[in-house]
Amino acid sequence: MYFIVEDDASVADALESLLSGAGLPVRVFASAEELIHSASLKPEDTMIVDLGLPGMSGSELVRHLEKAGATPRVIAISGKSSRTIARETEGLSDLKILRKPPAADWLEAITA
Amino acid sequence: MGEVEDRKTAVSEARFESLLDTAADGIIVIDEAGRMLAFNKICEALFGYTSEEAIGQNVSLIMPPEFARSHDRFLANYHRTGERRIIGIGREVSGMHRDGTVFPLELSVGEATTAEGRQFIGVLRDLRSRRAVEQRVSQLQAQVVHMTRLSAMDEMGAAMAHELNQPLTALLLYLQAVARQIKAFHADGKPPSDKMLAVLDKAVQEAERASHIVQRMRQMVEKRDPERATVDLREVVNEALDLSEFVAQGATVTIRRVFGMTPIHVDADATQIQQIILNLLRNALEVAKESEERWVKVSIGSDERSAFVSVTDSGPGFSEDVGKSLFRTFSTTKKSGMGLGLAISRAIAQNHGGDLMADPGGNGQGATFTLMLPMHRADGTEDDMRE
Repeated sequence: MYFIVEDDASVADALESLLSGAGLPVRVFASAEELIHSASLKPEDTMIVDLGLPGMSGSELVRHLEKAGATPRVIAISGKSSRTIARETEGLSDLKILRKPPAADWLEAITA
Repeated sequence: MGEVEDRKTAVSEARFESLLDTAADGIIVIDEAGRMLAFNKICEALFGYTSEEAIGQNVSLIMPPEFARSHDRFLANYHRTGERRIIGIGREVSGMHRDGTVFPLELSVGEATTAEGRQFIGVLRDLRSRRAVEQRVSQLQAQVVHMTRLSAMDEMGAAMAHELNQPLTALLLYLQAVARQIKAFHADGKPPSDKMLAVLDKAVQEAERASHIVQRMRQMVEKRDPERATVDLREVVNEALDLSEFVAQGATVTIRRVFGMTPIHVDADATQIQQIILNLLRNALEVAKESEERWVKVSIGSDERSAFVSVTDSGPGFSEDVGKSLFRTFSTTKKSGMGLGLAISRAIAQNHGGDLMADPGGNGQGATFTLMLPMHRADGTEDDMRE
C-alpha cells in the first residue's frame, strides 16, 4: 500500500493519479494527524510524505512512526532548500528525498 | 580740520581692510555701476585676481559670461524699480575663476547708503566642498538602495521558487500520469493517442522549462551562504541606525534608541539583519514624517530564548485589512515602494530561526514591528529540532 501525506490538494491528487494509474493501491491523507488516527502502516508499505506539513511536520511523523515500531519505506518530498531539508531530516535513517518540482519521473523514483 | 578728517578716514579704512582680510568668507563691495570697490584676500584665492587687479573693474569679471551679461541689467533694474531679487535673501550663484573654472557659490548681498551713493556688499562662500559631501551621501544612498535591490532579487528567487513549486509539481505529476496511461492505451491498440501524446510531450517540456528556471534560481540563492557569527545585536542595530541617520542627514524625525547595558548575543548574518532593520526603519521614518510627534523608537530586549528588536513609529498605526496583506510578497501601501521589503525581511528572519511580527497599533498608538531572533546558546544547540 502507498500512503500519501500531502496538504496541497492538487499535488496529492496528481500523485494519486500517477500511482493508481500504474495500478498501485493508494491512500491519501492531508495531514500527519489524519494518517496517525486512521491508518496503521506496515514495513512493506511506502509512505510518501511532504516535509512541510502544517501541524505535525513530515519529519516528526517519521519519528513518531519509528517510535511506534511501524517503519514503512519513506519517501520525503519537499520544495525547501537543500540546507533546510538537511536540517529537517537530520538523524532520520533510510530516507529517499524527492524535491519539488520533479526533475525526473517520480513513479520510477517511488517504485524503484 | 580737513587733515584730521582725512586721518580718521584713513584709520577706519585700514581697519576695514584688515577686517575684510581676516574674514572667512569672500567679501566684495561694489557701487551702483557694478564697479568693485573692495576685494578681500579670500576672493583673491577664490577667483585668482589680486585686489589691485580687481578693484575698479566691473564685478562681471568674476562671473561666467551668461551671468555677466545680465548683471548690469539687474543692477539697473533694481535702481529703477527698487525690486529686490537677491538683496537680503541670499542664493546660490556661479562664480568664475581667472582660469575659466566655473564653481558654485552661496551669495548674500547687503546694501549700504553712503555719501558716494548706494553700495552693495556681497559675502561669498565656496560651495564646492559641501557639494562633495552631498555627492558622497547620494553615492552611499545609491549603494544602500542597490544592496537592498540585490537582496530583493535574491529573496524574490526563493519566494518565486516557493510559489511555483506546488502547481508545477502537480502539473508535472498529472502529465506523467496521463502520458503513462496514453502509452498504455496505445500499446493496447486503442485509437488515436499519438496526437495527444505529442501535445502532452510539449506540455511536459514547457513545464520542465519552468521547473529549470526555479532550479537555477534556487542554485543562485543557495550559492550565497549566509555568514553566521555570534554578534551583539545592539552593535548590529546601532550600525544600521548610524548608517540610516547618515543617509537621512537633516531629517526631522527623531530616532530614539532604547538599549540595555548588557550584550545580547545572537547567531546571525549581521548584514542581513541590518537589511531588515534598515527596511523597518525606512517604513517607520516614512510614516513618522507625516505624524505630529515625528519620532521612531528602536528598542532591544531579550528573554531566555529570544532576542527582540522593536521598531515603533509615532504614526496612526494601520488597519486590520492592511495588516492582513502586509507580508504578502507583492503588496505595498506605497506607490513607489518595494512591497517585497517585509516579505523578504520575514524570510530572512525565519531563515535565522526567528520571525518578524507586526502590531498594527491604532487608537493613538503607532505600529510596531518586532524582529525576533533565537538567543545564542553557549552549549551549541541551535534549535529544538535536534533534541
